[in-house]
Amino acid sequence: MSKKLSLSRRTLLRGAGALMALPLLERMVPGTARAAEALPTARRLAVFYVPNGIHMQKWTPTGTGATWELTPSLQPLAPVKSDVLVISGLANDSGRPDGDGHHAAGTAALLSCTKAFKTEGTDFHAGISMDQVIANHLAQQKATRYPSLELGNDAGRGIGNCDSGYACPYANNISWAGPRTPMAKEARPKAVFDRLFAGVDPGTTQAQIEKRRAYGLSIIDFVREDATTLQKQLGATDRRKLDEYFTSVRDLEKQMEALGQQGPTCGSQVSPSEDEDPRTKTKAMMDLIVLAFQCDLTRVATFMLANARSNKVYGFLGLSGGHHAYSHHQYVQSNYDALARIDRWEVEQYAYLVRRLKESQDGPGASLLDSSLVYFTSEVEDGNAHIHRNLPVLLAGKGGGAVGTDRHLRAPGMPIANLYISMMRAMGVPNVTTFGADGTGELAGFGG
Amino acid sequence: MLLLAGCKGDSLPKARVLPDQDNPHTQNDECENVSGDPGRVTLHRLNRAEYDATVRDLLGDTTRPARDFPTDDHGYGFDNNADVLSLSPLLLEKYATAAEKLVETAWAQGQLRTCALDAINPEPCARDIVSRFARRAWRRPVTSEEVDRLLRALTLAKQQGDTPEAGVKLALRTVLVSPHFLFRVEKDPEPTSATPRRLDDFELASRLSYFLWSSMPDEPLLQAAEQGKLRTPAELEAQMHRMLADPKAQALVSNFAGQWLFTRALDSAEPDPALYGAFNEKLREAMRQETELVFQEFITGDHKLRDLIDAPFTFVNDALATHYGLPPPGSGTPRRVDLSGHPERQGIFGHGSLLTVTSNSDRTSPVQRGVWVLEQLLCSAPPPPPPNVEGLPPPVNPHMTMKERMALHRSLPQCQGCHRMMDPLGLSLENYDPIGRWRLNEVSGAPVDATGDLPDGTVLNGSVDMRRFIKEDPKLPSCFTEHLLTYALGRGMAEADHCAVREIAATAEASGGRLSDYILAIVLSDHFTSRRGDPEAQSP
Repeated sequence: MSKKLSLSRRTLLRGAGALMALPLLERMVPGTARAAEALPTARRLAVFYVPNGIHMQKWTPTGTGATWELTPSLQPLAPVKSDVLVISGLANDSGRPDGDGHHAAGTAALLSCTKAFKTEGTDFHAGISMDQVIANHLAQQKATRYPSLELGNDAGRGIGNCDSGYACPYANNISWAGPRTPMAKEARPKAVFDRLFAGVDPGTTQAQIEKRRAYGLSIIDFVREDATTLQKQLGATDRRKLDEYFTSVRDLEKQMEALGQQGPTCGSQVSPSEDEDPRTKTKAMMDLIVLAFQCDLTRVATFMLANARSNKVYGFLGLSGGHHAYSHHQYVQSNYDALARIDRWEVEQYAYLVRRLKESQDGPGASLLDSSLVYFTSEVEDGNAHIHRNLPVLLAGKGGGAVGTDRHLRAPGMPIANLYISMMRAMGVPNVTTFGADGTGELAGFGG
Repeated sequence: MLLLAGCKGDSLPKARVLPDQDNPHTQNDECENVSGDPGRVTLHRLNRAEYDATVRDLLGDTTRPARDFPTDDHGYGFDNNADVLSLSPLLLEKYATAAEKLVETAWAQGQLRTCALDAINPEPCARDIVSRFARRAWRRPVTSEEVDRLLRALTLAKQQGDTPEAGVKLALRTVLVSPHFLFRVEKDPEPTSATPRRLDDFELASRLSYFLWSSMPDEPLLQAAEQGKLRTPAELEAQMHRMLADPKAQALVSNFAGQWLFTRALDSAEPDPALYGAFNEKLREAMRQETELVFQEFITGDHKLRDLIDAPFTFVNDALATHYGLPPPGSGTPRRVDLSGHPERQGIFGHGSLLTVTSNSDRTSPVQRGVWVLEQLLCSAPPPPPPNVEGLPPPVNPHMTMKERMALHRSLPQCQGCHRMMDPLGLSLENYDPIGRWRLNEVSGAPVDATGDLPDGTVLNGSVDMRRFIKEDPKLPSCFTEHLLTYALGRGMAEADHCAVREIAATAEASGGRLSDYILAIVLSDHFTSRRGDPEAQSP
């Protein structure tokens, strides 16, 4: 059924021509009332990470449950309020570093709930992140061409320390395929676009696809043989590096095998610009996530608005200091004000993604947002004290009916890993009962 | 860091050189009986700069395909750290895509076709093309078995109804996705043996070329390896001088110096346009060029390395000269200018690049500047601040000087230990504003106070004084060695490397103390020419 629906979606999109301009379809039936079998079975996850925490005084709604109001920093969510669940009080104790290094440790633990081992060298390791657990599950079903997309605005400064003796991979990656395998992210929208859409000629014949696959697989066979021979002549540390190569070869193989199984294109799109302005760039990244979901090229995407401990200067918000510098607010009002401005801008970008998904159709009478989980969080709560509890958490979308939205859920002290267990289950991963260091079961109140 | 330190008295910078203390020439006792452990470098994936330079030299491709690859992480200050250079599925996909494009382009240009492929019997020519290419791409001789395996692509192409040409191209693509191309392979014949072994000739050739060029060995270097010549120090030295004189040694400027001197961070520097509107893209470029050209001159020139601290020359164009208050050289491109009459601009502390990247967008940061000096020049990095105290609060009254604000800030007892090291070094540079202009007054109008009081009571009076002090510090040679060796090997230095670092520094200083002396001392060291197995490795 899923396949049929996605085909019809593609047909519809071709007819529509410009994908970016799909009309907003009225929802026919309110989410909870809709019969489950009428929903498409595909589930999607988008993660939106922001660095340096949030100024919570202007963030946390006062009400609880269904009686909640948008706070100043959450105001940009007004058009999609009914699709949002705000969760307060969640803790990620695995994000606490040994000594200093809260941003790197918090970011490595963000989606893995695993404590990062403090090192700058060979032995860096954290844990698999929940988005990758989901991606692995979907890959088994050969659901999409790409198991997941990893995106981010920051390419990194490339000098000095990343964070207090923590290796840079910790600070620059929220997505981890395994303890030692950070999923490198793409920082150029155009490169993402080219990867997804360029070089795919809609006129390609089945025979040409077959040949392409045969050649691609022959390369894979050869290099795997190379690596297998090489493995025997290497020490243990080197073999671990080569394991990354084997894993990647397997993934590439799956991609090759899937070549031609899906329609190579889903309409005409315009390649994004190379503009480095964070406003343009963030929007381009959000559009790419929506497009990849629409075309069913992937169902899992993570996005880092900036790397951990980013000291980005948001000049267009009228600010002259860096984000990280402001986050060490020292209880000074002018720093609070600057943080609130940045927070609100961040929520605006997130709201844009949510809105775009809501405007995108996913089968008859349903939007992409209905089938998605759109998750917003940061590696710390307060950037001054580096608190890893009461983290800022937003979840938009119904996840196919699993999430009870338009609420403010309070879950003081509950492990954020439990939220992830609920999210993984909503995404169809079977039998998840524990996760990370402290996930013990589903988060109470997740479904409403 | 070798001297990763709490901020205790013994790791403080010293105002005077005390005899027989911290001096690599005289203090050898603890290293006397240490048998050299060269350590081991983790299987090293080519980073983006290395990939681009390698395909440039292998295929003549200057399109820099690695720009489309995900960013490399860095460790110990450099993005060629093998431990953190991981290989994600995304990256392998990019490698495969790039390989196809690179081979197609080079093939179309005719560079790879050294013979004509006969339609009936293509194998001899195919073998020739593929084996030549694989030898260069894999940076070592290839066996006939390896070539046989690669030539299976011809059979596949035939089965698919394609030409032999398609088969050869497929084989070449395969070469570029193989681990032998993507990694710098150094085999361990006895993977768990702790006994050091000398690298084979080709492994050594690659170490040398990736150190000096960030690229593959060229034909003369490969041939020297084939002839076994690299086993003599004289040949290694001759190769090193030949390679440093080659334009490809520019890689040492952009990749080593760019990260050691933080010049790379200029890309992301964002001075507040309201306060520092004089900063613009042309100035950004001129600042980068200044530091690169000065360092370039140190690679081939006859200057002592420590003269970087107060070199009496620099490279400026008119815009940068005006920015600095120097007479314009009458050129839009950088010109070498003499600084004998401008002591305030001598050496790297007069460079706009360094002064800008160690500043906040809206003010100078004596702490960042001080930490830079301690980390990059003296390897005496202070630990990070304890939680909840980071950051400088706004001035209590608007006319306070930076020095007064910082004195207030570090009145907390837990801050004093480290700040009394960092602050005086940074404060002595207060005459340079956040974009490197000379100033006598702060933005508030308060007169600049560029004096720094060191813990031992010495007062540094401005940048000239500070320079003199740093230049004399006995930790400078070993610290420079530590950074250069970290880069040369692509691995972080640990306590076990302490003696080797000291020995290399002493050798380099004894032979003249030029950058080329340091490079040679590294190239001839056991750390560079040997490796050992991995006896204690276990999965945590």
